[in-house]
Order: sequence, then C-alpha cells, then structure tokens
Amino acid sequence: MSELERELKELIVRALSLEDLKPEDIDSNEQLFVTGLGLDSIDGLELGMAIRKKYGIKPVGSKEEIRAIFATVSSIARFIHSQRAI
Amino acid sequence: MTFRCCAIIPSHNHSAVIGEIVRQLRSDGLAVFIIDDGSDDVHRTVLEAIHSPDGGVTVYRFAVNRGKGAAVIKGVELAIAAGFTHALQIDADGQHDLAQAPAMIAISEAHPEALIAGAPLYDESMPRARRVGRRITHFWVAIETLSIHPADTMCGFRLYPLDRLNAVLKSARVGQRMDFDPEIMVRLIWSGMPVFFVPVRVAYPVGNLSGFALIGDNWRITKMHTRLVFALPWRLRQILRNRRRPAASQDHWAALGERGAYLGLRILALFYRLIGRYGCMAAVFPIAAYFHLTSREQRRSSQLFLRRAYQAQGLAREPGWIDTLRHSLGFARKTVDTFAAWMGDIDPAIVKATDHRTLNNVMADGQGILLMVSHLGNIEISRALLDQAQRSRIKLLVHTLHAQKFARILQQFRPEAAVDTIQVTEVNPGTMIALKEIIEAGGWVAIAGDRTPVTAHERVCRAPFLGHDASFPEGPYLLAHLLECPVYLMFCLRHKGGYRLYFEKFADRITLPRRDKSAAVAQWAARYARRLERYCLIDPLQWYNFFDFWSTTPANAKAGAQ
Repeated sequence: MSELERELKELIVRALSLEDLKPEDIDSNEQLFVTGLGLDSIDGLELGMAIRKKYGIKPVGSKEEIRAIFATVSSIARFIHSQRAI
Repeated sequence: MTFRCCAIIPSHNHSAVIGEIVRQLRSDGLAVFIIDDGSDDVHRTVLEAIHSPDGGVTVYRFAVNRGKGAAVIKGVELAIAAGFTHALQIDADGQHDLAQAPAMIAISEAHPEALIAGAPLYDESMPRARRVGRRITHFWVAIETLSIHPADTMCGFRLYPLDRLNAVLKSARVGQRMDFDPEIMVRLIWSGMPVFFVPVRVAYPVGNLSGFALIGDNWRITKMHTRLVFALPWRLRQILRNRRRPAASQDHWAALGERGAYLGLRILALFYRLIGRYGCMAAVFPIAAYFHLTSREQRRSSQLFLRRAYQAQGLAREPGWIDTLRHSLGFARKTVDTFAAWMGDIDPAIVKATDHRTLNNVMADGQGILLMVSHLGNIEISRALLDQAQRSRIKLLVHTLHAQKFARILQQFRPEAAVDTIQVTEVNPGTMIALKEIIEAGGWVAIAGDRTPVTAHERVCRAPFLGHDASFPEGPYLLAHLLECPVYLMFCLRHKGGYRLYFEKFADRITLPRRDKSAAVAQWAARYARRLERYCLIDPLQWYNFFDFWSTTPANAKAGAQ
C-alpha cells in the first residue's frame, strides 16, 4: 500500500468522522460509494473538499469522470499522483 | 436507426387526384398511408380501391369524420407500427407540389432530427378563408416561438421525425382538426426540434373543395393559439433554450432559415420599448386573466395559499375569486417587471433596502456568502440596487439546465446585467470545489430556498409553513455546511409603486453534525420556513409558487408538467 493511499484512508476516516472504522480497515480497491463503504453523495462532496484542502487539487470533468476518480482509494491516489506530475 | 421514410395523406372527401399523388409517391419509392377521414361514399369507393398493402399503399378508414389532426395522428401510429422513422405529410387535394418531395427527403436524411416544412409560395388562387387563417396564425406563431419564421406553420406539407413527433403527441392534447398543422409545429419547435423550411409551390385549383371553413376553422385556430400563448410563460425557458440554434452548417440553402437566432427576444425587447412597461402590462393582463380562468390548478393553489396566509394573518376571511384573480395578475405584472429589470429600466431609486447597513457592509466587506432567494416577490429587481461589480460576484445556482441556458441567452442581450448561473442538478466534488473557490474569492452563491430539486429522489425535507408541513430542499443547508460561509436571505417585495429589499443574515455558519444530518437540516429548513412565512405575510399576493406548496410530490416536477 502506498504512502499516499494510507494518507487518504486517514483523511477519509477523519473528514467523514467514521469513528467505528480504522484507516487500515479500508481496502484500497473497495468501492467507496453506495456499495462497499457505503458513503453517500454528501460524503463525496465533503471528501472532495477535504482532498482539495490537503492536496490543493481540483477534480474536474464530467459526472462519469468525477465518479471514476472517486470510485476507490486507489483511484483517488492515482488522480492525485497524476495531478502532481503536471 | 436506418432512415425509412413514408408518406401520410389525410383525406376527407378528396379522391379526384389521389391516384396521381400516390403514383408519384410510389415512383419516389415511398410507402403511402392514406387515412380516409370519414369521406362520403363516392370518395370512399375511390380510396378503398387504392388500398394495396403489397403494393405499398395502406388505406385506413374512419367511419365518421374526425378531423385532419386525428387522421394524421392515426397515420403516424400506422407508420411507426410498420417500422418507419420519418413521414412526409401531404394534403390529398393536390395543392402540394410533389416535385419537392425528393429534396425534402434528402434534407431529412441529412438532418434526421429536424422537421422539414414546406414554406408555400402562394399565388392569388388561395381562398379568402385561408388567407385570414394564415394571417391570424402568422401573428400568433411569432409570439409563441419568439421568432419570426421565414415561413408559416399552416402548410400541411412537411416531413416529421416520427419518434419525436410521437413523443410530443403523447405529451399534449393537440388539436384534432385544421388546428393540428400549426399547433404541432409550434409544439415541435418548443420541444427543441430544428426546422428547415423548403419553399414549395402551392396552388388552389379552381373548384377545389378545401376542407377549410371560414368561421369554424378560423375560430378553432384562434382558440388553439390562445391556448398555446397561455402555456407560453411556463414554456419560456424551454423555448429560449431551443429557439433557432445556429445551423450546424450554412451550406444548404434550406439552412438559410436558421439565421437570426435571438431575433425573437430582440423583438420582444423592441415591443417592450415601443409600448413600454405599462403598455406591456396592459397587454399581459388579459392573458393572465384568461389563463387564470382556464387553469383550475392555478386557481386552487392560489386559493389554498391565500386561505392559509389569511389564517396566519388572523383574518377571518375566505379568499374569493377576486383575490385569486389579483394573485394571477400580480404574477403577470411580475413578469413584465422582471423584463424591465433585465433591460435595466428599473430606477434604483424606487428600490429601497430596509436594512441598508447590513447590505452595504456585506458588499463592502468582500466576503463570500450563500444567498438564499425565493419565489416570493421579485428578486430580479434587486439587480437595480447592485452595481455591476457586485452583480458579477453573484453566481446563481439553478436546478435545471434550461434555466442556465436561458440565463446565457439573456447575457447576450445585456452582458452587464447578467448573473452567472451554475446548474446544480449535478453537484459533484468538481462543482463543489468551484463553488468553494467562488466563495473564497468573495462571490455570492445564490440558491432558491423554496423549490425542491427536479428529481424526486433528491434531498427534500418537510417543515411547517403557514401551519402545515411543506417540502423544502435540503440543498441550501448542505451547501452552506460544505462551503463554510455565512448565509443571508434576500427578498424583494413590491411596495407602494416601488420595491422593498429585505436582506438579513440567516446564519454565520451552518455546521451539520456527522450523525443525524437530516434532523439538523430539517431544523434549518424549519427556521427558513419561518422567515419565508414572515415575509410572505407582508403581502401574500406576491407569492409566486403556483402549485400546491404543501404537496408531497416534488414541486418542480409539477411545475414542469404544466
């Protein structure tokens, strides 16, 4: 598991106050929304804000693209990585 | 889907030239559907003899005369069942120049989404009853579609995409007789269908028995247009959205008719300038009165609202017809005032802020805020009080794409008066971050607090309003939570010939707990409902939510259905 993914899991637990969950309980490839972790759309928005605050990046694109970015911890990590590379 | 075109011919007591029409259409390779609309026996026999399903000609008979519209609709049904994607509608009396059919089909094939309409070049042989009808129609259609068409809508020689036509036929009760041709065209234009006009020669041969009656059909057509015009305010956004998009290419002569986008709104503006704000009001009042009298839903919702408002005001009175009529007329007046505000014709001096200090402080302070607006009073008027710099800081969140495009069109006319809009049917982390940046840059994000989202599954909560639970959107409070910014309310109510602007702080921050978010949101919504209640009781007649506000079905879905 990459350092970035670990950071993200901590961020998810903290930003969304998922008290009963430890960062290591989240699988990097687990679907975050609806199924899997079962986050809702407001959680998604909160997560987006938290990620922007921490990493200073902006996910832009169509609904589908955004959904793909926020699908799993590893997809978010990939996106942050690609943004950093620019 | 592969392009398959057929021909539909409604016929009521026309059979003299039908054989020749069918022969020409067959030589162009078109299957033909003839709807015998209850013709007399002599014509019926001729029509029946043409029936030859194997030879590509189907004749369907109505036992009694049901009207041209009913016949065309039946033809559409048959054509769809037979797997056709497009249909050419042709009159049975031989007035249409079939030599144009191949050209119309070719254009349709290149633009399968478009309506291809014959634009007649008339000669003097046109009977008087028709000329009168056409003049009535020209006038109304220009108003209804907010554009001057290069051709008219009464010519029954046209080529429809069947799926879209069918959808429109299913969504509205369209005139069944001679009112069908113009009405369906207007409704198709409303639905966003592009139109290509093809000049066609039309002749009225001497002795021709056109089925058009001077009194009956002209009355029917006037009635039909009246009906369409009263549906107009509710269609306005959609029409403006769809109206005359610039043609994809100007390479075809038929595309010439596509020029002059936005001409209609300019004409409306000109009309406004010519007869002025009060002239416009005088023109709009009878329309509003008629709509009021014919729309039971509007009267009922008005009565329900006023009854509850009067109760809350402690008035022991039942709203009578005069109250609900005044309510509707107030809405007409609001529409004109809105236009005046767009045109920059509202004198800032007539708009008085009740709390200048708060407004000026927030403006001067340069902080970003979430601004909750409503359909009480006329928020557009507030533009007059805001200078251009301030206006440019406002971003209005709208629930539908229509409203957004509408605002963009507006921008083309008066860029300096425009307020940016952002569509929020789809709020994703991307748009959220964009909003956050607007707030951080000192922008004002405006959102309506009294309309629930378009789709039913979205976040709605119930809160007491005038003594009964009503649906309110959760969106504004969730946004406020995510944006971490102060929330203000703004109302603008007509008052003694001028306007009063109310601007007040709703919350410094709205922070929702992790758990029981919905309960917390409901509390905020209830608080908002109390403020809305207070302001609407200042003058209940300025409440412009003409639907059952306490209904549990989403408001926009209902408003959209109107």
